[in-house]
Amino acid sequence: MNWAPFLGKAVANPASAPLLFFGIFLSLIVFLIGQYLFKISKGFFLFQPLFVGMVLGIFILWLMSKWLGVSLPDFYTQAYKPGGDLLFWFLNPATIAFAIPLYRRNDVVKKFWLEIVLSLIVGSIISLFVIYYVAKIFGLNNSMIASMLPQAATTAIAMPISGAIGGVPAVTAMACILNAVLIYALADFLIKIFRLNSDPVGAGLGLGTAGHTVGSAKAVQLGSVQGAMASIAVVVISIVIDLVVPTFASMMGLH
Amino acid sequence: MASNQQAAKTSEVEHEPAPILQQMAIFATVLFVSSLISPLFPKSFPVPTPVIGLVLMYVLLASHIIKLYQVEKMADFLISLIAFLFVPSGIQMANSLNVFTDGGAMTGVMLIVTIILATIILLVVVAYTTAGFMAISRKVFHKSTDVD
Repeated sequence: MNWAPFLGKAVANPASAPLLFFGIFLSLIVFLIGQYLFKISKGFFLFQPLFVGMVLGIFILWLMSKWLGVSLPDFYTQAYKPGGDLLFWFLNPATIAFAIPLYRRNDVVKKFWLEIVLSLIVGSIISLFVIYYVAKIFGLNNSMIASMLPQAATTAIAMPISGAIGGVPAVTAMACILNAVLIYALADFLIKIFRLNSDPVGAGLGLGTAGHTVGSAKAVQLGSVQGAMASIAVVVISIVIDLVVPTFASMMGLH
Repeated sequence: MASNQQAAKTSEVEHEPAPILQQMAIFATVLFVSSLISPLFPKSFPVPTPVIGLVLMYVLLASHIIKLYQVEKMADFLISLIAFLFVPSGIQMANSLNVFTDGGAMTGVMLIVTIILATIILLVVVAYTTAGFMAISRKVFHKSTDVD
């Protein structure tokens, strides 16, 4: 029996309930496959559940779109997005939840608030210069460089800023997503080779800056101080990027 | 007296978690209030709802209006789900894979390499800058920088 016309009909009607469940179903299945692979490979970094889920999910959508003869973005929008958006919404309360690990180590926040704020401001400005010149060396054009600059902020802040300084918001959003996926997969390795273990405050701030909320979730696993510092970094770095990047971009003549 | 303090401390540490619906209600209230505050910021200075919510929740906890036991369980549960909740964002890239191929395959590769390097740069530079400021506090201002 040929299922393509039947599925095609279902896909053409995005409001139909089975598709809402398809996005949720696919997300869960690919993530669980990732968790299983991660477990049997004894923690091989390329088998991080989030990374596996992303690659496998896109691959499955691509296969299905080929089979149904529609383009991948169309198939994504109509078949996966309704369910995906529903799960995505839960990132809102999950972000708020980071106030709790932050408050649990309020002693560290009170003791080091000045060091934390100064480190994030100075650290992000140094990072902007380094990222600018790295992008320049790799021959990216001005619009792509502008898209790279706001990526330390959370996606909802980074995208409009990217647009305002002449970048492409979609590229910036992709950078933010890859930041999170990479940090989740590589954090242990990077902490080891750059010897960030000795300073839990610095490691936490770095993880929150580079990996956004996903980096903070990783930091919470490492320890309460790291978790609290990553949570505060998510907030402060977003405000810093909000203020600093437009000035930096016009200083560098990007727009 | 000592045993009294001990008892007080244990009861504070092991307070029964609030019913899960009450915890949800607190999260929902904070989200709702934050979503009303978020549009008040100018377009050139966007502050999204969850970021305001994080600050608001922290302020409520720090001012003891909300106690840890009233939100802790929900928060730990949501944080443990973060990696999974990010899967749709990852798969969302299916929608815009063309940004990597539009400028030619070479630009796409360079873009991905730059993003990978930028991630490492952000982590390492911020961590080392913090270590620097901590060293200044320790050596110049003789402040203890030990944390446990």
